[in-house]
Amino acid sequence: MAEITGRSLGGRCWVKMPQINEELYAADEARWASLMVAAQKGEQEPYRQLLAEVGEAVSRYLTVRFGAHAMIEDCVQDVLMAMHEGRHTYNPSKKFRPWLFTIARHKAIDALRKRNARREVPEEEVAGVYSEDVTEGIDRGKLLARLSITYREAVTLTKLVGLSNAEAAARLQISESAVKVRVHRGMLQLRQFLEAEQI
Amino acid sequence: MSRGDLINSLSADLEPVKPVAGTNLLTATWLLLGVAYVMIAALVLGPVRPGVFDQLVGNPRFLLETLYGVGVFTLVAMVAFRSAIPAALTPTLKRLAIIAVIIWIGNFLYALINPALEPSMVGKRPHCYLETLVYALPPMLFAIYRQQQLYPLKPRDSALWAGLAAGLIPAWYMQIACMYLPKHVLLFHILPGLAMAGVGVLMWLLWQRVKG
Repeated sequence: MAEITGRSLGGRCWVKMPQINEELYAADEARWASLMVAAQKGEQEPYRQLLAEVGEAVSRYLTVRFGAHAMIEDCVQDVLMAMHEGRHTYNPSKKFRPWLFTIARHKAIDALRKRNARREVPEEEVAGVYSEDVTEGIDRGKLLARLSITYREAVTLTKLVGLSNAEAAARLQISESAVKVRVHRGMLQLRQFLEAEQI
Repeated sequence: MSRGDLINSLSADLEPVKPVAGTNLLTATWLLLGVAYVMIAALVLGPVRPGVFDQLVGNPRFLLETLYGVGVFTLVAMVAFRSAIPAALTPTLKRLAIIAVIIWIGNFLYALINPALEPSMVGKRPHCYLETLVYALPPMLFAIYRQQQLYPLKPRDSALWAGLAAGLIPAWYMQIACMYLPKHVLLFHILPGLAMAGVGVLMWLLWQRVKG
């Protein structure tokens, strides 16, 4: 958590997101918008370029917020597919970036929400300490760092590490229903944090 | 599938698409057709309340209440269609629409103790609550259908707003077509109008089930 600027305001930990380079931002915006317009006309090459660039941008966006994790790549692919299905809803007279990142935010939360059922960790990790690689990656997630420790633990264990509610409850030494409540509230907060961002 | 493979397959399947021109025209068209349909359908089943035009001209508060109703369902319809396009709906507009609906209901609650018009049974329509529900169905179904052609990220919420917008049109129209008694307005016009929000969600769920 070394990158966190630990500013406490009203008991909540606020973290600075990376600064936006205005020139690069404007250049990307103009290029992506024109590529998208070409894609709407059915031009394959500009579309391929757009998907590749957007895929990288969304991957970075999600990694900064949620940490390096296997889920990120799934999420990026979900965003690309959503972008493809909803490409007719991009209005060329509007900015491209808000349209894209609204989809990315939604897909990220959706992917996290759906992760309950997926079990990705081996049994030995459940009983003991889970993989250091996994936690290191997750610790880099600046958005997660904004959650209170109780919510962060519950969300991390169930949604990112992949433990079931019962397993997370055993690890945290709280009841299963308390885990569910913490996860639910944590997810709500994550959604609010994401929606409050100006991209 | 790797990201590269996905990109190749998506760009290989690329078809030209017509970008949406914006939601204002869609909303305006839907509102015009919806209001016209509700008014014509209601007129077929019965006339407007006798003396309602004199009431509109002679009572500024009633006129304001009626015009405000138009503003409310317009705002709700804007939210309904904008919610079906990524980034088109701002939180401010959504909050504004919620507040507008609450104020509209609050106005009729206030009218329980201080009505805009002299409460009367004149113009009573025997099945106004059913009329409200039935008239709202076609505009609601059309709105949900149109939303699905766009790209609603929260389709259930979008359907809820579509149901609410469609429900509020006949609820508003009953203000001039049916009797004026605040309790009656709340229970038999506004409540069925609000209930259409739930019907919208149910219709969306049904739609999902049918689609499999």
